[in-house]
Amino acid sequence: MSRWPRSYLPALLIALLALAPIGVLFALASDSLALFDSHNLRVLTNTLLLLVLTMLGATLIGVPLALLTAYVQLPWPRLWLILLAAPLALPSYIGAFTLYAAFGPGGEIENLLGLPTPTMDGLWGAALVMSLYTYPFVMMTTRASLLSLDASLVNAARTLGMSLIACLWWVVLPRVFTGIAAGALLAALYALSDFGTPAIMQLDTFTRVIFVEYNAFGLGQAAMLSLQLMVIVGLVLFMESRVKGSTERPGRQLTLWPARWQTSLMLLSAMPVVLLAIVLPLTIFFAWLIREGTGGFEWQFAWNSAHASLLAALVAVILAVPVALAAIAGPFGRLLERITYLGFGVPGIVMGTALVYLGLQLPFLYQTLALLVLAYVMRFLPLAVGTVRSTAERLDPSMVKAARLLGASPAEAFRRITLPLTMRGMVAGAALVFLEAMRELPATLMLGPTGFETLATYLWRVYEAGYFGRAAVPGLLLILISAVGLALMLSGERRAEFALTEDHRR
Amino acid sequence: MQRRTFIQSLAAVGALGFLPSGVSRALAQEAQALSVEQLPALEGNLTLYLGRGEGGLYENVLDAIRKRNPKLNLQIRRGATAALTNTIVAEAKAGVRRADLFWAVDSGAIGLITDEGLARELPTDLTAQLKTGFQYPRWTPVTGRIRTLPFNTEKLSKEQIPDSIMALADSKLSIGWAPAYAAFQSFVTAMRLLEGEKATADWLRGVSRHAKTYAGELGVVMGVERGEVDLGLANHYYTLRLKSGKPDARLDLAFTRNDAGCLVNASGVLALSEGDLPINFIRYLLTKEVQSYLSSEAYEIPMVSGLSPPEGLPLLSSLSPPKVDLRQLADLRPTLSLMRKVGVL
Repeated sequence: MSRWPRSYLPALLIALLALAPIGVLFALASDSLALFDSHNLRVLTNTLLLLVLTMLGATLIGVPLALLTAYVQLPWPRLWLILLAAPLALPSYIGAFTLYAAFGPGGEIENLLGLPTPTMDGLWGAALVMSLYTYPFVMMTTRASLLSLDASLVNAARTLGMSLIACLWWVVLPRVFTGIAAGALLAALYALSDFGTPAIMQLDTFTRVIFVEYNAFGLGQAAMLSLQLMVIVGLVLFMESRVKGSTERPGRQLTLWPARWQTSLMLLSAMPVVLLAIVLPLTIFFAWLIREGTGGFEWQFAWNSAHASLLAALVAVILAVPVALAAIAGPFGRLLERITYLGFGVPGIVMGTALVYLGLQLPFLYQTLALLVLAYVMRFLPLAVGTVRSTAERLDPSMVKAARLLGASPAEAFRRITLPLTMRGMVAGAALVFLEAMRELPATLMLGPTGFETLATYLWRVYEAGYFGRAAVPGLLLILISAVGLALMLSGERRAEFALTEDHRR
Repeated sequence: MQRRTFIQSLAAVGALGFLPSGVSRALAQEAQALSVEQLPALEGNLTLYLGRGEGGLYENVLDAIRKRNPKLNLQIRRGATAALTNTIVAEAKAGVRRADLFWAVDSGAIGLITDEGLARELPTDLTAQLKTGFQYPRWTPVTGRIRTLPFNTEKLSKEQIPDSIMALADSKLSIGWAPAYAAFQSFVTAMRLLEGEKATADWLRGVSRHAKTYAGELGVVMGVERGEVDLGLANHYYTLRLKSGKPDARLDLAFTRNDAGCLVNASGVLALSEGDLPINFIRYLLTKEVQSYLSSEAYEIPMVSGLSPPEGLPLLSSLSPPKVDLRQLADLRPTLSLMRKVGVL
């Protein structure tokens, strides 16, 4: 068939749109003076150190927790799973902000409890925060791999006299290496593109330095740094695509029944993670709320966040439908879909730099809500495409064929068969985009229209001015929004990841 | 009450004849600080670029102006002063002007814009309200600030602190600074103008060896108070504000002599678009009410003649700030590239 599927043309346009920021960056960077200097080397070192420490930290926390939630029979297993996965839903700058304010001499912990604590900043502070908020990636991917393993190998090793610990180390973990690697690379990707955490922890990584350059309107320099960052992002994405799924034949999974005190001990040792990642931010924000009230906060901020995010969600879903259909239609469509995935790899700060420049060239877009929404859409489109595609894939093509046979035009078949059946995926996709956009910080800082303060940008402004107490309301609202996001993940397309056993995952 | 004020003014008039002419002129200017009651109401759309809110206090001023003028639709874009300055210049180059007014916390940034010819000339009756030496044709200072060395009183005594900023590079003291902060960059610019490129680069290199970097200067002062560093480089008001909230703070102010370390700088405002509205808005910022509010609450130095400096600050006459034309602080680009070259930015 020489005729292209209908979805290719719009998908091609959307893919070109997704490539636009990279093109803009190249144009901008061409008039940058320095390609690479000693300062740059320090930034690169910091970024890579943070990357490695985050991967290590996320693995050290994530893998034991994966073993715990996959194999050990816990009381209320689903509750523990959700609780331990919850940091995934929180934006890490919330954690960085509260940890920074809580620790150190004169910090909130010393104020409230009188306990002196070390200062939390720099490389170690950033790495700790990153690990605390990215370990769920490792936990979830490792857990999925663990659940797909056949227990008989472990049982054989045990009957041959190997201890349980040795068994886990020598027999189980090597077989889930790809799962661990996939999760660690996701954590690495997060660490690379996050702006808030290194900025608050005062660690000069690429994202932070790009923001400094942008503030000095060294757009050329910012673009050059952005391209360097994109090279690293590209490398990580490449490695991630090379990680192959496990090919083992599924069997009955391992189940451990430790004594009650052992279970308690294991759960207890997981508590510091929950305390630092979830309880501490909540406590600090509530303490500020009680001490300083709701001063300075306006509901307009929340409404602005919701307004822009809703628009982004709508546009993203409308654009996602042709891309998802193209991806199903053929190999060229799949390539187009891959290209739109680029946006997800483009850190918000890089997207912001590119679009500020674009706006200056196209004054009708400059400082408009439209430009901000465009940034959200380009960044979070892959979330919508993913969910729409996975529902559309399950659609039985014979239904559309039957409709066509009965005389419906392609448009009518789309409107009456395809669209209603993919509606669920579209709603789920829109919700994901909405929640991500609500929490987005760097691009919102750079692109928001004049007077357009959102929850995230207000939190940032409060941090910069040193009026930490005023972060209470926006902080708690952002946590609430994240909780809604988590609930949605649990009920929607990703419910499978939270299933308790492999058997339920069909 | 009225009678007492009247007698006091009478007494003042009587005393005037015996005072040196400079002082009597200063006293006579007292009448020039207007009250908001004397100003026309503001109406219409106005976009203000605000070089960082300084934590709520500038916000309070703007809120009060909004409340007084319900027909004023004031849109505010907030950001770092340097960022907004560059934005305004970039916007002008691209032919998109969005701001009617720019309120910068740093006069170096303002010089950059007046040099580009983007700022409007202000009426002379407005600029005449300012203290002598602070009257400029195309912008007006709003409040002043002075560079200081806040130090931890448990770790240091005033005598241990060198009275030359250049001596800090070779000292053993641990120093807190915020190189990304606009006021700090203006200070480095002043040092560049006074001491030259090479001496400044050496100084930056020297200090960076025993310096801890903070995001902003409130952070610096908090770090000094916590004892994370011995000494900091910061504008005066952060220390005064922290001490007002925490009277037993282990914190005091030291001043260098006749160098960039005690530079007097000013926040300022300029009009970018035509019409009376931006000008009248500026008049509001120079009223008695706004000026004394910023002095008593934010501990900034009022710039309208006849108003006294905030509590806790030594008299300006007892200090010896360097002689730098504030407009020259506009030359920020060489400063930034110098700081980048040295690796502190």
